[in-house]
Amino acid sequence: MRQVALYGKGGIGKSTTAANLSAALSFQGKSVLQIGCDPKRDSTRMLMHGDLIPTVMDLFREQGERGIRIEDVVFTGYSGVRCVEAGGPEPGIGCAGRGIIATFQILERLGALSGDVVVYDVLGDVVCGGFAMPMREGYAEEIYLVTSGELMSLYAANNIAKAITRLSGRGKRPCHLAGVICNGRGMPGEEDLVREFASAIGSSLICAIPRDRVVQIAELHKRTVIEYSPESAQAEVYRELAKRVMANDLFTIPSPLAIDALESLALSHLQE
Amino acid sequence: MPLSPLPSATCRNEGCTLTGALSVTTAIRDAISIVHGPPGCAHHTFSLFHGAQSSPWDEPPIIVSSGMGEREVIFGGEDALAAAIHLAVQRSPCAVMVLSTCVAAAIGDDIAAVCADLEQEVPIVHVPCGGFLGGTFNDGVVVALTTLTRLDKSDYPHPGITLVGEKNLEYEAESNYHEICRLLHLLGHHVNLRFVRGATMDDLMRIGSSSLNILREPALTPVGERLCKVHGTPYLPSFPVGLEGTLQFLRDIGECTGRAAEGPVDQEMKGQRLMSETFHDITGRRVGPPREGGEVAEALTVELAETFDLAIHETAPPFPMDGSLPVGTAGISRLLHRWRRMVRA
Repeated sequence: MRQVALYGKGGIGKSTTAANLSAALSFQGKSVLQIGCDPKRDSTRMLMHGDLIPTVMDLFREQGERGIRIEDVVFTGYSGVRCVEAGGPEPGIGCAGRGIIATFQILERLGALSGDVVVYDVLGDVVCGGFAMPMREGYAEEIYLVTSGELMSLYAANNIAKAITRLSGRGKRPCHLAGVICNGRGMPGEEDLVREFASAIGSSLICAIPRDRVVQIAELHKRTVIEYSPESAQAEVYRELAKRVMANDLFTIPSPLAIDALESLALSHLQE
Repeated sequence: MPLSPLPSATCRNEGCTLTGALSVTTAIRDAISIVHGPPGCAHHTFSLFHGAQSSPWDEPPIIVSSGMGEREVIFGGEDALAAAIHLAVQRSPCAVMVLSTCVAAAIGDDIAAVCADLEQEVPIVHVPCGGFLGGTFNDGVVVALTTLTRLDKSDYPHPGITLVGEKNLEYEAESNYHEICRLLHLLGHHVNLRFVRGATMDDLMRIGSSSLNILREPALTPVGERLCKVHGTPYLPSFPVGLEGTLQFLRDIGECTGRAAEGPVDQEMKGQRLMSETFHDITGRRVGPPREGGEVAEALTVELAETFDLAIHETAPPFPMDGSLPVGTAGISRLLHRWRRMVRA
């Protein structure tokens, strides 16, 4: 079973990328489980045609851990992709990170982590140990950083690389950086910048996803691009991403950049 | 306004703010303390208090836990705290003290807001401690005492001497209290308020009218300073330690209260001589340097060594001051009794 996790700055397009990746993998004949690890619970919305599925934490809050069944938390979406949302507390109260840890413990006990590929879609920054959970305990061994060429997005990706470096030496099945995915914002020279960033931290650019309006249109129709516009060039990009992820075996321990070096890198690619 | 040099030694610079704060709030006779956190935190402290050999309680104090579990950690424990407060109020206390553990503090429960928002018939007093977050046992004691000073109602006309921060968990707490009473009596004074040991909420509300505060130890100086600043009350920074320290304590009390101290000092010196004569058999023995207690313990050891002609030697048994320093002449007498048993054994 391959377990991949997508990390990146909030709003950079992780959930869109994850949902399309999962859909594309399913068309490769893979049994796919996508787990949304964000209290906002919207990772699997496109795969579920707009439905916000009950979250593991919803059920835990209502009835406690006892009595939660696998069919209560795993829902089958588009193209047979199984969907789970961790959920979490309302904004501004409680500990969402602890919610992620509890979710993993519950899913583990339910035996829900199964299939050919598990795709973890994780909250923007690794703000605490809870959000590093997919990197720990041998869950996701392959971490993909999703970033655009914007400095703050690269900064977040670099920060996550620090967490990978810290956690990569732990456990029997340590996590590694599997690559960087450029989710383009249409900046000039963006792909080159992200490629150089990937190289600088000891990894590689796996795929550059161009900005395309079909992504927003598909989302408004509550569909992945793979489903809404399977013939589009963008759908082909996601299918290519899926192929490269499955073919990828170059996993590294990253060397995060100092903030000055990161800023210099971004500045050197500035095109006015 | 400290009236004598501040010794720096304290034995309470470790531990958890919750235990320190609870050691104060549970000594309010008609209040209930709530521990906002996992049940184990309340259980641990309750067990400690239950096992304490000297306590201000006729029976173990009521400690209510908000019973935080995994669910409350993830979704926030404020509802659980509100439920615990309602439960406590049903027992008809005169006040509810709300203390926090590190678990609740770490997830950021807004305990002050919960306490402020609840409309109850009795005061809901938030004591802002947070387990290990916020300091040590002594910090918990200080924050609890400071919080309780804010309950003052200035219309209570009961000036007198107040003892601030008696160590409610120490074995000799009552003996020390009686020693202070004895010394004050020599000057014609008595203790008006024990802040806080067995006091009621009504008692606590007259803290501001005290004419002199005597702190249990210098670590409580922030409390003394606050009371001095807010109410203009002078304070002595510590219960007396040592033979000369006890005499100086009498002089300080006399100076603060306008009473002549010469007679009481002479009387106490006579008492100290009589006490010393009962220990004539230890003359010439060897005593070890103190293991704890810092400079004050060292100075006390030197004073007693000179008084009883003892030789200080590294390998000899020290005076047993592991818990806390002896208070007054009676405290020294008990200390010497224990030490004599040790060296005779």
